[in-house]
Amino acid sequence: MALTEIIEIFKTKLNVSGILNSLDKAADFYGESDIYSEMDDPGETIKNNPYNGPGGAFVKNVDAGKLSGKKEVPLIKLTDVWKTYQMGESEFAALRGVNLEIYEGEFLVVLGPSGSGKSTLMNLLGCLDLPSKGTVFLNSSDISELDESELARIRGQMIGFIFQSFNLIPTLNTQENVLLPLEFLEEDARTAREKAAYLLEIVGLSDKKYNLPSQLSGGQRQRVAIARSLAVNPPVILADEPTGNLDSKTGNYILEFLYGLNKKEGKTIIIVTHDLELVKYATRIVYIRDGQIEKIEEYTQNKPEGMI
Amino acid sequence: MRNSTYVKMALNMLLHSKLRSWLTIIGIVIGVGAVVGILSLGDAMEEQVQSRLAEMDLTKIAISPGYTRAMSNMPGPHGEGGNTAKDSELTDDDIDALQGVEGIQHIAGEISGSEEVDYAGENATLSITGVDPQVWKYMTTLETQSGRLLEPADKYVAVIGSDVASGIYDQDIGINQVIKIKGKSVRVVGILTEEGGFGDSSVYIPIDGAVSLIEDAEEGVFDTIMVKAQSEDLVDTVMEDITDKLMISRHIVREDDMDFSVTASKSMAESVTEMTSSMTLFLGAIAAVSLIVGAVGIANTMFTSVLEKTKEIGTMKAIGARNRDILMIFIFNSAMVGFVGGIFGVMLGAFISTLFPMLGMTMMRSEGDTGIFLSPRLMLFGLVLAVVIGVVSGAIPAYRASKLKPVDALRYE
Ligand SMILES: Nc1ncnc2c1ncn2[C@@H]1O[C@H](COP(=O)(O)OP(=O)(O)O)[C@@H](O)[C@H]1O
Ligand SMILES: [Mg+2]
Repeated sequence: MALTEIIEIFKTKLNVSGILNSLDKAADFYGESDIYSEMDDPGETIKNNPYNGPGGAFVKNVDAGKLSGKKEVPLIKLTDVWKTYQMGESEFAALRGVNLEIYEGEFLVVLGPSGSGKSTLMNLLGCLDLPSKGTVFLNSSDISELDESELARIRGQMIGFIFQSFNLIPTLNTQENVLLPLEFLEEDARTAREKAAYLLEIVGLSDKKYNLPSQLSGGQRQRVAIARSLAVNPPVILADEPTGNLDSKTGNYILEFLYGLNKKEGKTIIIVTHDLELVKYATRIVYIRDGQIEKIEEYTQNKPEGMI
Repeated sequence: MRNSTYVKMALNMLLHSKLRSWLTIIGIVIGVGAVVGILSLGDAMEEQVQSRLAEMDLTKIAISPGYTRAMSNMPGPHGEGGNTAKDSELTDDDIDALQGVEGIQHIAGEISGSEEVDYAGENATLSITGVDPQVWKYMTTLETQSGRLLEPADKYVAVIGSDVASGIYDQDIGINQVIKIKGKSVRVVGILTEEGGFGDSSVYIPIDGAVSLIEDAEEGVFDTIMVKAQSEDLVDTVMEDITDKLMISRHIVREDDMDFSVTASKSMAESVTEMTSSMTLFLGAIAAVSLIVGAVGIANTMFTSVLEKTKEIGTMKAIGARNRDILMIFIFNSAMVGFVGGIFGVMLGAFISTLFPMLGMTMMRSEGDTGIFLSPRLMLFGLVLAVVIGVVSGAIPAYRASKLKPVDALRYE
């Protein structure tokens, strides 16, 4: 299957309607202490959603995904995946025979203690690494068979990464950081700017466009990182301990935002964490220990308290 | 990723680079400055040599007593050649022996020496050359600015160089003025045009008169025998014939025993040109070494920079950068480093080239006209060279950066 096909199938079958329409208010963010900004009417700019409109490639009927009825075909499928690291003479298996299927629209939380292999798993899901043994299927195609530039393209178009340590480019300002994934996709400069402005509006950082990461607080940095991860409107968001470096209040805003993306945009969210707090957002929890899946719990109704 | 984006990213990296990175640019600045400066010196020297050669009569051959290497013996009347065996002499007999050589247009003996010359109560030691007034005006390339050259009937008259006429003595010497050489009155009949060489401070006198004015000079004995070949092409065969004839007439069997030397101004010219270009090459090579050092400096900085940016590279790969994108960003960056170094290097080269005239003058034994400048062509060359060096030295680090595995890069602390 050609790469473009894979990506197209992803896009069409996924519920990626006019991005973030429903997140207009993003009111929760404005509750964060450091952003009582002087924005007059955030709603107005946000209505100019550059992801919407006739030219928008991602504009799909909200129901299209569901109607396609392909819920039983997993987005990502791991079969007997091993990951071993060479440590001098000895080998260390960070993942030992993991079988997992991830479906669109899921809010998956991978929960496990430190060193259990969560990040290793995350890297495989995000096409940042290839398994030592076993297969990672992305929409039914084996990622081990794709070449470097194809993997880069998948990462660029399909997956939004959120890291524990934010991983912003320190020499680029807020806007440039958000623009970067669009630059890699050679998005038209004007549209890219509109999208960046829109996303920064949503995460409440319109007034920090020209600040360098070093001039932002941890929470603000992670919001920039979220805006960046959403820039290409990817169907999947992968987050590795996204709240690990944040205080619980700021962390909660980030999580509720991701929750909103999942609920209202149908984005597939995969969060890897050791923090039990996060389970309340999950539709499914994968418990991992010593590189093996211990158990999987499913929740039909994920609804954190306080969220309406 | 578009080229404009590469430029943007590379520029961003450059503008945020640490002082340490800027310091390595100095290597390129010095290297390019030195290369450009030396090449411009070479250009100027060559230009000067060429213009000098254009004035030169390339059909001239000088025969001088003693065997010396051609290089060290300047042809012409002021040969200060380092002759080792001064015990041999050139005489009328040698000229007679050469009469039959084909291809010779003119032949004449010359004597030379340094004598005190008095004028208007002042006294200076000048170089005196005794020339054959019969043929001198046909053989010399010198020209008068006023008066005339020597005529066959002349004896105690002189043609003087431009410096002698005005400059050496407080009072200028005009045509028909009388100077005194060893107490003997000599009338000035001609003043030479300035030519920027030794001739400017020389005095030319018919050889019959000069014999009595120059210490140790003897009738029929010459310091140099000047020969003018009929054409430039004949110079080589004429030289060979002269050597053969003189060896026979002087009863010399082995070349090692030769007690005279034959030098063509043509071969002089060739060796001077050769010397100039090999000197430029030599200096250029030294300058190139500093360029290499500069290149290693850039490479080193780039390696460090790649190491420092490992995590960023990982991040960029995670958000969609291909290997090629990373490669290009770093290559563009090092090209820019080279470019900046090139600009300052060309500026340094221009500065260096303004210092060279003094050095150039002493080397060329001439004054004034060294028009050293940095041609636009050379400036462009310097810039291109710097950019190429930047790209070449940045290539390996950039390649290394591009090949980093995203996971490994992201894990890097
Ligand atoms: N590149 C590597 N080389 C060697 N060992 C590694 C490497 N990456 C991870 N590990 C090991 O694999 C195990 C799982 O790591 P990781 O997936 O990062 O755990 P977690 O994210 O759950 O804390 C750990 O014991 C870690 O030391
Ligand atoms: Mg981890």
